[in-house]
Amino acid sequence: MSEQKTPSDLERGMKMLEYLEGGPWPSYVKELRKTKYPIEAYAEGLAKKYTPWLSGSFRVRYVFSGILARRSRDGKFVEIHFRTYTPAGRFYSTSYLRKVIEVAKKYGIELLELGGNTGALVMNMIAEKADEAVDAIRTIIGTDVGGSGDTFREFYACPGPALCEFALYDTLHAMDYVRSHPAIYRYLNTQMFPYKIKFKFSGCPMDCAMANSRADFALIGTWVGAPEVDQGLLRKMVEEGKINPKELVESCPSKAIAWDEERKELRIDGSKCLKAMNCIRRAFPAIKPGRNRKIALLVGAHAQGHFGPKLGRAVALLDSIEDVIPFATELINKYMELAPRRHRIGDMIIRRGFKVISEVADKTLPNKPRGTPSAHLRVSIGAVLTDDERKMYEDWSRSLVKEYFSEG
Amino acid sequence: MSLAITPEPKDRMNKRIPVPFSTQLPEIIRNNYGKWIDRKFHGNGIIEHISETGDRIFTIKVGLPPNSRLSVDTLEKFVDIADKYGLGVVRATRGMNLEFITDSLDKALKIKEEVEKLGFPVGGWGRSLWHITSCTAYLTCTTAVVDAPSITQVLYNYLKPYFTGEIELPAKLMIFVAGCPNICGGTLAGDIVIVGHYGQAPKPDPERIKFCLPASAEALKKVTPDVAAVCPVGAIKLFGKPDGSVGIEVDERKCIACSRCKNVCDYFDWDPNKIGVAIFAGGKTSNTGTGPRLPYKVVPWLPVNPPEYREVVAAVRKIIDVWRSEAKPGERLGDYIDRIGIDEFMSKLGVPRTRHNRCEEASWNFGVRQFITYM
Repeated sequence: MSEQKTPSDLERGMKMLEYLEGGPWPSYVKELRKTKYPIEAYAEGLAKKYTPWLSGSFRVRYVFSGILARRSRDGKFVEIHFRTYTPAGRFYSTSYLRKVIEVAKKYGIELLELGGNTGALVMNMIAEKADEAVDAIRTIIGTDVGGSGDTFREFYACPGPALCEFALYDTLHAMDYVRSHPAIYRYLNTQMFPYKIKFKFSGCPMDCAMANSRADFALIGTWVGAPEVDQGLLRKMVEEGKINPKELVESCPSKAIAWDEERKELRIDGSKCLKAMNCIRRAFPAIKPGRNRKIALLVGAHAQGHFGPKLGRAVALLDSIEDVIPFATELINKYMELAPRRHRIGDMIIRRGFKVISEVADKTLPNKPRGTPSAHLRVSIGAVLTDDERKMYEDWSRSLVKEYFSEG
Repeated sequence: MSLAITPEPKDRMNKRIPVPFSTQLPEIIRNNYGKWIDRKFHGNGIIEHISETGDRIFTIKVGLPPNSRLSVDTLEKFVDIADKYGLGVVRATRGMNLEFITDSLDKALKIKEEVEKLGFPVGGWGRSLWHITSCTAYLTCTTAVVDAPSITQVLYNYLKPYFTGEIELPAKLMIFVAGCPNICGGTLAGDIVIVGHYGQAPKPDPERIKFCLPASAEALKKVTPDVAAVCPVGAIKLFGKPDGSVGIEVDERKCIACSRCKNVCDYFDWDPNKIGVAIFAGGKTSNTGTGPRLPYKVVPWLPVNPPEYREVVAAVRKIIDVWRSEAKPGERLGDYIDRIGIDEFMSKLGVPRTRHNRCEEASWNFGVRQFITYM
């Protein structure tokens, strides 16, 4: 009599991967299978609901940032990946990518993460060839490994003036400028900060780089006063039926717009305008951002930190990107001096109060318009649930599953 | 065999940065840099940018596999397409998708056709699902609680019509999936954010926790080891044992399952049956509508059952359905929740409310609105 064999974790995991290859969306498992990625380790983890990786130690001479090594819990596999600096805005020319491909084929397992969440392009490498791979990345591609650990993480800028009509300052130039400024650049290959520091550059208040919620130093384009209205063009667009002025008035989140029906003119109260970009998006180019353009500097936002996620706090309105360097240099020194390990700048603000920032701003950004920073409640991501609570949510989800999956 | 190109490894101390960015850009973008005056949509996945000089370029957005994982093989095909029909440049978006850039609508449609032939969808602009961003989780990460790429995969499989524009949404929708409370999946301030967490206090591995502790209790007098110092609520207690070694205790009543201790020490353990995901809704970073804010924790815990994750998929679809059926055109999820009130929204979802999802409403100004006095 043959006994029913229970499938091993690996077998169950491989079955799961098959399922994940079957859907209409391009599958990452299909991509993994085309590479030398140790897919068995991943499959087993998936089945066990337990990450298969432990941090490994791996050193390449004179490289102190950007190389991450993992070993699997069962000791069978290693996984080495490099974070590489990317061109601003993550515009990759095809010649750049062909070089990436060349290096990934020669030194790697042919797997890439094209747009990593830090901003980096991640390349999976072969451990034995890692030393050479660093040089290959430097000389062949013309970039470098970096952006991991307690240093500057890879910078990120929205496409800005290269692709977008709303960009209020040159985000791509700003990113290049800050990243290669000696005061910033000198920390790239070190791990001297209490925790990571991120810079993100957004060209307008719509904040496509998500600087406002992710970056210790957020630089967001904005303007002072009312948006600029070309009354003639606007009148024409209204007559053509492209714009409904009443809708502009009603939908304005700041309630700053009035429409003069007699003179066919739109008036915007600059002192009320919250820069929500609502009218500008609907009536561009008849309504444009105002001419008095600034770069809003916010600090202390992050997702990962000691006291949980935070949004950025306003510091000052800058006239040009150069203004940020003295402030950043000073604040980074303070951060290294005052913050305990594993505290982000936002956590330091909670510990010490916002005056820690104001003092630096007083010294390095005198005469700049200053913001009135808001605070918010602490958000707890995880939760320790009791069995009863768990059951409640389980029952609820069961009813939803019935609602959505009953047909199949 | 070592590479001849680096005679001096010390040079590596000076990082080589890919600057200037302009070397990556095609001539037409360099010529029209900062001169764009208008845009037109051609369906959900193609934008035409119009310059004041009269030049036009077309951007095509292509959905990539979760976590933007690509094999070199696939990337080569993309690069060939970008060279053949495009301007020799692609852009990796923040949402882990890929943009092709070309100079005529015909070529743009050709690119669309070519990538769709390879099985990659085009879409994701306007009133649609812009992206589902994922962290790497079990692919490489040591601290992941749940696996984000597989959750992203099943969500994308169900939500693809929202990306391609077959079904219209009230406004843009951005979803983020993170495997643990570190939220490497992008940001917490997203429309819908799914975050894995333990749902329980961690248990120190009795055998191996010693690798994260000082060898003798004497050391505790001088410095608090990382493993206790990182706890934001002081739930981890270290103490000297009679034999002179160090003991560790986790207070379950204080613990908030933030997994920060797990970040510094691998040797904490948990019960895989109690792990789950929390779902947040209504956050955003954009200053549109009612402005930037963090989201509400609407569901504190849901079971994770790979590979189908039916519970997670059903909850996300429910949130989208409630929003889709009731929001005004152009109203993002957060703005919609603000209009009807979070209590009303929660009762529409029917989700049980406990101490974990009380959802306090916040009414401060965030983002650039903090400069209101100078505006």
